[in-house]
Amino acid sequence: MNINKQTKLIVDLDKKPQSVMKTRGKINWGKIGIYAVLIIFAIIYAGPLLMLINTSLKSLPEFMKSATSVTTKLNFDNFVDAWEKANFPRYLTNTIIYTVSATLVFIVTAVFLAFPISRGYVKGSKIILSLFLIALFLPPALIPQFQLMLRLGLYNNPIGYILLFTINPIGITILVNYIKTIPRELDEAAALDGCGYFRFVTKIIFPLIRPAIATVAVLHAIGIWNELILPTIYLTNKDYYPITRGMIVFQGVYGSNWPTLAAAVLIMIMPMLIIFLFLQRYIISGLTQGAVKG
Amino acid sequence: MQAYHFGGGKARWVPYLLLLPGMLLYVLIALGPSIGTTFFSFTNATGIRGAPVDWVGLDNYNEFLLMGQASRDNLAALGRTLIFCFFVTTIQFALGLLIAVLVNKRVKGTNFFRTLYFMPVILGAVIQGLIWSLFLYPLGGPMAKILEFFGTSSEFFGGQPSEAFAWVIAVQIWANMGTTMIIFLAGLQTIPKEMYEAAEMDGASGWQTFKNVTWPLLTPSVNTNLLLNIIGSLQAWQLFLVLLGYRNGTQVLGYLIYAVGFGQTSGSVTSSFRQGYAAAASIVLFLLVLLLGSIAQFFLNRRERRILG
Amino acid sequence: MKKYFKPFMLVLMLVVVLLSACAGGAEEEVTTDDSTDAVAEDVTLRVLVHQNPPMVEFIEAFNDQFSEEYPNVTIDLSVVNANDLSTVTQTRLTANDVDVIDMFAFTNAAEPYMVNVEPPNWQTLIEAGYLLDLTGQPFVDNYFPSAIEDAGTYNGKVYQVNLGTVSYSGIYYNKDMFTEYGVEVPTTWDGLVTACETFAAEDIPCMTAGGKDGWPIFVGAYGLIGSIYPDQAALVEGLWTGDIKWNDEKSIEMWEKMKVYAQDMMEEGASGIAGDAAPGRFASGAVAMFPGGTWYASAIEASEPEFEWGYIPFPGSDDPENNKYLFGKYDQGWVINANSPHTETALLYLEEFSDPANYEAFVNAVGFFPTQPGATLDTQIGQEVAPYLENFRVGFEQYWVAPKGAGQYANPWASYFQPFGTFDDVQELADKAQEDLQSGLDANQ
Repeated sequence: MNINKQTKLIVDLDKKPQSVMKTRGKINWGKIGIYAVLIIFAIIYAGPLLMLINTSLKSLPEFMKSATSVTTKLNFDNFVDAWEKANFPRYLTNTIIYTVSATLVFIVTAVFLAFPISRGYVKGSKIILSLFLIALFLPPALIPQFQLMLRLGLYNNPIGYILLFTINPIGITILVNYIKTIPRELDEAAALDGCGYFRFVTKIIFPLIRPAIATVAVLHAIGIWNELILPTIYLTNKDYYPITRGMIVFQGVYGSNWPTLAAAVLIMIMPMLIIFLFLQRYIISGLTQGAVKG
Repeated sequence: MQAYHFGGGKARWVPYLLLLPGMLLYVLIALGPSIGTTFFSFTNATGIRGAPVDWVGLDNYNEFLLMGQASRDNLAALGRTLIFCFFVTTIQFALGLLIAVLVNKRVKGTNFFRTLYFMPVILGAVIQGLIWSLFLYPLGGPMAKILEFFGTSSEFFGGQPSEAFAWVIAVQIWANMGTTMIIFLAGLQTIPKEMYEAAEMDGASGWQTFKNVTWPLLTPSVNTNLLLNIIGSLQAWQLFLVLLGYRNGTQVLGYLIYAVGFGQTSGSVTSSFRQGYAAAASIVLFLLVLLLGSIAQFFLNRRERRILG
Repeated sequence: MKKYFKPFMLVLMLVVVLLSACAGGAEEEVTTDDSTDAVAEDVTLRVLVHQNPPMVEFIEAFNDQFSEEYPNVTIDLSVVNANDLSTVTQTRLTANDVDVIDMFAFTNAAEPYMVNVEPPNWQTLIEAGYLLDLTGQPFVDNYFPSAIEDAGTYNGKVYQVNLGTVSYSGIYYNKDMFTEYGVEVPTTWDGLVTACETFAAEDIPCMTAGGKDGWPIFVGAYGLIGSIYPDQAALVEGLWTGDIKWNDEKSIEMWEKMKVYAQDMMEEGASGIAGDAAPGRFASGAVAMFPGGTWYASAIEASEPEFEWGYIPFPGSDDPENNKYLFGKYDQGWVINANSPHTETALLYLEEFSDPANYEAFVNAVGFFPTQPGATLDTQIGQEVAPYLENFRVGFEQYWVAPKGAGQYANPWASYFQPFGTFDDVQELADKAQEDLQSGLDANQ
């Protein structure tokens, strides 16, 4: 394949005199170094989260007395309190509906955008790509966007809300870049075999760029999941609220009660964490199976 | 325009047809409203429909860039935005690359580390802010204890503007390094194993392999990451909102636009919504992002052509 | 065939999700857009308020009571963060998607001596015809005419009934601690300095405030400005006309005291405390005093019910006569969407709310000082403040409108001093504040 040829060429150009064998000891030192760096970063990353969990299990007086002490007993009252105070199941369902449907619409439209742009199969590909690149820089246009949605009758309407999340210039850029790594010869070969455009994109390109799609979909879904400003503006009916609204209740009511707030935060991030832990195997390990090999 | 292999005549229209829905959504949701913003920037719009909107020409731009001490404060915020962009981009890029290379090694537990480093990304600014406010709790919080151990102390987000600003940079990098790492990782995994095997057989050292195999082949990921980091950090402001509030000496352009647009500049007073003025400020930010982004894009593209042909 | 299955399922799921969402939207239309004015028919009244736990709790109970009395009325209450209230008010008024709104008092009007300033948001809303004219409604007469005039009237017409005032210029003090160390409750600046020194000798920090949020520090010192410039409307006019400068002699005295307040009186670490956490810290007995608004009283009581505290005006002047004023603001009020299809029901809602019994229950739940003559605030803060109420004045923040082009230091904020801000030198800060202000005044000549 094209990319293999290229990369082999680079290696050939840089051929260096062979230094015979690596010693075992050197490798081990390398490993220790790797682990040292990874563990230092793990502490920076896990520390704040552990602090959150620890706090959520304490009572308020305990926290006031000593913020850092490790909790002595498992006090789940904060979780009960948080769960009772917010309508989490309903909000959670809404958030999942918004996230899944907007991501699906986005991915489907994005692939049909990114492929011909990347390949130059439509007139003005470069202009279209520049348009999307410019969109990366565009200022947030809250007010004009709101007026538009209002006139289209999409205010306080889940469909309108979902539509707001069906574009993502960053996602398009990633897909375009990724498709570039897939050799053009493939298109030619498929066409010679009598494969149509739609079938080629859905049957061959889709699976080939699965890793990029997974990455883009997750990044996109995270943005929808965490959106706080748009639901405040576009959704006024309680039945439509996403889960980020549940968080607002907590910041307002429990602003200074760190233990309960911590419990609410944990409840709120739990579903996304689980989904992520489940998906990340697919995103990252899926890559190893080899996007290039198909 | 490249040679098209999937038939002529009517079949030639298929890619256009399939591209249309995405294009329409884009025009409807992003491009159209942004053109609206450009229009607003020349008016005294308040965002209230029905309120009179007068064409004021370049008044908003004049006020933002040239009028009195306020304009010098605005330019200071612009400078701060660039400083923020510089530190976030460089550190996040370097750390993301280092970590991606390390977790791509065949050592045990890489899956755990990848997951952990990526985790903050899924939390969103509000929760990232809450977590760090707790971790940097000045009255006996963990970081305060650590600093105490080293015989020093910090006011963290409540401290001097430059100190608070530095902490926001740290949290911003903590929060988004995972994205950079994942994109590099995706790039690393497209590099065929045979390449490394070949390099090893040639006796290349670890550094040589990185320099001659990994780095050039990572070019698409490098481009994506650099652009994303530059643009993202120029536009980022939510962490400032969550961690600092609108404080003198810490404002960046994105936050300034939000604050003047929605009457939140003074903390406790609800003043007028100056959306025409805010629109002008967002156009200034847009031009800044466009300029820096285009420069980066230009050099990255040139480099990509040189390496990948 | 198998390969087509997945994309097919995706599209199918998508269609199902969109259709179900669509159906949900359609149902909603039927129940809310039932445009009728007749109270006898089923009406859903959309009420928007900002997040304030005791108030939301009260309004929920009131809504139940209202729906019981008028079974045909369903109330759809939305709660948003205080910061988002004006944004949401604006979007929902524009979309005609709200009937009754909680809105902050009409303040910061453009005065004749101000040049080239933007009208405040409420004024734009009235001029665009969004707020219902309440002039002549019988329930308006339940309120002090002065409150209606000051907080809810524009161009001679009433658009808002304001529900109460709060003071932001007082200091909470720990009664037990003052008794224990034999410290007198201060009535002058010297008294306050002495009190703090006494506590400092005992290793007790004098004051705390939510420095992390920024504004609690400078709002905490608004009383200090008030005792130096008791007529705050005149202060604002003086600043605009140039008769008063932020670096003249009187102002320098203010800045000097602010420096003492920010650097000597505030406890170390106050800059890291969140605004919500400060009342709890005061109630825990960690500090002797807490400068803050009357709205903190319920939080102090909630965190430590047995705790004995008192509330005094900020003694910023050496003359006790100048320290008798409490400064504050009219807080929230009700307005009605002029384009609402349910204006009659909305008026009925306000009428019911303004009923003296309901209103008194409301102020006691929320802790506002009443704007109705008959009502009294029975809580402790109500009793603490009662002696000063005749000297209640609207504060600087409600009058001040900055000239365009003025710098960001053109405010009398104690939080500019270290450790909350960057300044340490009084003269330097005073000059900077005046320079930033002057720059705006000059730009509009």
